Amino acid sequence: MRLGVALALLSAGVPLVAQSVQGRLEGRIPGEAVPVVDSLVQVALREGLPSEPLVQKALEGGAKQVPAPRIVAAVRASLGQLREAHDLLVRAGDQPPVRPGEVTTVAWALRRKLPPSTIERVVAELPHPPRGPAIHAIADLVAHGFDPDSSAGLIIDAVHDGLQRDRLLDVSTAALHEVQRGRTRDEAIVVVRQELPNVPGPPKPERGTVTRARRPETLTPPRR
Amino acid sequence: MSTIDPRIHEALDGELPTDALPVELRPAAQTVRMAADLLAAPVPGPSLEPRVMAEIRRPAPSLLRRAAGWLATPHAVTLRVRPVWSLALAATAAVFTLFYARDVGPQLGEHEGIAQFVGRFPDARSVHVVGTFNDWRPGTIALEDLRHDGVWSATVVLPTGTYEYMFVVDGERWVPDHLADRLVADDFGRENSVVIVRPVHR
Repeated sequence: MRLGVALALLSAGVPLVAQSVQGRLEGRIPGEAVPVVDSLVQVALREGLPSEPLVQKALEGGAKQVPAPRIVAAVRASLGQLREAHDLLVRAGDQPPVRPGEVTTVAWALRRKLPPSTIERVVAELPHPPRGPAIHAIADLVAHGFDPDSSAGLIIDAVHDGLQRDRLLDVSTAALHEVQRGRTRDEAIVVVRQELPNVPGPPKPERGTVTRARRPETLTPPRR
Repeated sequence: MSTIDPRIHEALDGELPTDALPVELRPAAQTVRMAADLLAAPVPGPSLEPRVMAEIRRPAPSLLRRAAGWLATPHAVTLRVRPVWSLALAATAAVFTLFYARDVGPQLGEHEGIAQFVGRFPDARSVHVVGTFNDWRPGTIALEDLRHDGVWSATVVLPTGTYEYMFVVDGERWVPDHLADRLVADDFGRENSVVIVRPVHR
C-alpha cells in the first residue's frame, strides 16, 4: 500500500516538474526549443542531476536572443558538464546519489578550466561542507594563472588550519593581493601559507553601501 | 407661641428691679436670664492661635524639598496648540522617520549579502543587470547614473551564492562587467561575469 502511494506520488511528481519548467521557458525561448530543453531537463532529473543550470542556460540564451539550435546545443553541453561532474565526484569516492549542489559547483569549476585531477584531489581530501567554497577558491587562483596543484595545496592546508566556508575565498584573495604587490605566484602561495589561518577577512561594506542596498522584487534561488 | 410676661422683659432689660417682680414670676425671670447669659458668653473655640503660631515658628522647607514636593504632586497642565502646529509637528516626525529608515537600510538575513554592480557607460540611456539571480530577465534590476557622469551603479541584496551576469545597455547591448574578478564562457561565444555574494558582517 505504502509502496503504491509512493509510486503514485513519484509518477505524479515528474509531470509537475515538467510543467513548471515549461512554464518558465515558454515565452522566454524560441517555441521550437521548449520541448527539446524540457526533455533534456527530464533526462537530468532521471539521472539525479541538478536541472536548474539547464533551465538557466536556456533562459540566458533566450534573453540574449540566441537562435533555438544554439540554445539547445548549449543546454546539451551543460548536461554533459553535469554528467562529467557527477562521474568525477563518484570517481573521487562519493557514493551516489551525490549532492546536486556539489555537482553544480564541480561543473562550474570545469567550465573555468580547473583540471579534473585537481578537483578529484579536493573531493578526496576534503569533507562535504567546505568543498564548494574550496573549489571556488582554487578556481579563482587557477583563473589568475596560479598552478592548480599549488592552489589546491594552499586551500586544503587552509581547511586543515580551521578555515571554513567563505573564509577560504579570503585565502585566494590574499594570494591575489600578494601578486598585486609584486610577488610571483609561487612566492604569494608561500607567504599566504605562512599567514594561515590569519588571512584578512573581507572588507566591511561602507555604511552607505548597506543603506543604498535594495532588495529586487524578482529573484532566482542561488546556485551554491 | 409662648408669651413671656412683659414685666419679665422689663426686668431683663433693667427697667424693673428683679425684686420688684411678683414672687411667682421670679423663677421664670431667673431661668430666662441664665439662658441669656449662656447665649451671650463667648464660645470656647479650638485653640487656633497656638496652631497658627506653631506654623509660623516652623522653619521653611529647603528649595530641594519644595522642588521634590512640586514634582511629586499632580498638576493639571493645559496645552493650547494651534492645529496647524500639530500638523507641522506630525510632518516633521514623518520626515525624520522616513530619513532614519532610509539610513538604516534593509535588514539582511543570515544567508543574504550585498552585490554592487558598477559600469561606465557614458552615452547610455538605461543600464540593467541581468543574470542567474533574476532568471536572465531584463528590466528587473536597473542601474542608476546618480551623478550624471556616465558611471552607472546598483547595490542589491541577494541570497548568498554564485551568480553569472551581464549588463544590458539601452535594452539591447549585452556587455560583461569588466571590473568583475571572475569571467566564464557563456557557451554562446561570449563571457559572463561572475559574482560571489557572501554574508555581510556589519
